[in-house]
Amino acid sequence: MSDDERMETGDFEGGDYEQDYLDPDTLNYENEDGAENEEDGMNAEVDENMIVESNAPQDGERQRTGKAAKPNEVRVTTPYMTKYERARVLGTRALQISMNAPVLVPVEGETDPLEIALKELAAKKIPLVIRRYLPDNSFEDWKVEELIIQE
Amino acid sequence: MFFLRELTHTILLHPSYFGAQLEDYLRQKLYEDVEGTCSGKHGYIISVITISDIGEGKIIPSTGQAKFKTTYTAIVMKPFKGEVVDGKVIHVNKMGFLAMVGPLQVFVSSHLTHGDMKYDPNASPPCYRSNDEIIQKDTKVRMQIVGCRVEANDIFAIGTIKKDFLGQIRED
Repeated sequence: MSDDERMETGDFEGGDYEQDYLDPDTLNYENEDGAENEEDGMNAEVDENMIVESNAPQDGERQRTGKAAKPNEVRVTTPYMTKYERARVLGTRALQISMNAPVLVPVEGETDPLEIALKELAAKKIPLVIRRYLPDNSFEDWKVEELIIQE
Repeated sequence: MFFLRELTHTILLHPSYFGAQLEDYLRQKLYEDVEGTCSGKHGYIISVITISDIGEGKIIPSTGQAKFKTTYTAIVMKPFKGEVVDGKVIHVNKMGFLAMVGPLQVFVSSHLTHGDMKYDPNASPPCYRSNDEIIQKDTKVRMQIVGCRVEANDIFAIGTIKKDFLGQIRED
């Protein structure tokens, strides 16, 4: 209900209606009336506005086309790498190294993939991107090299 | 009929290919995977024209492999009912003959040949013979497609030569 209020309020400011209508109860009442009025053939412009506005709130927020989603432009999550991300990145990278992926740091006789992965992480050379999903299913992409690593 | 279509292909890449030549390898793999294949939905993919997007790699958990969704434009060939095609006969038997139209197999039943065309099993390559035409292996024929059987990874067509201007193509 509160969502509806907000939306309709916004809509009405743009339209011909006066401020009386901000009262939610009145609003709903008026909307129904307006729909009936449309049939009378009067005030076509006003009616159109109302229809658009009532639809607007849901469509406007998240329009999802079939295309691949884009990462959020403004990133709000922590710039620190969490211990879970660290574990996943190290595990994934160590697995790749164990499967013959090219190593991006001088190995210096190191043979354990996890050790090499740790070394890559210390040198910020891990070529992975962490995709952090937020509760609304949008996401932020953080490169491993730009995250702050704490011990 | 030939079409230019925008298609997608998913490539799973083993970690040992990560490195500077990753993109070259992806392109090569796309050509290898896709060209010459057939899907019932799109038809035969003849050739990749352009690779519009190679996609971002996404790591698959627990395998370490990267998944790339590439989009590309390809020439596809899809047969349609009523289409007239030229082909080369590859096989003749008493049921009819089989012709290849590029990658597509077209079967022409003996019932769908001219009435005066008779199967001759005694000829040295078995053939269909009428007064002015002879159809045997390697003959070039013009057929009209009367039906297509579309399977998940294959397309077969049934053709007819029982119409004007269809049948053997003479090179003169």
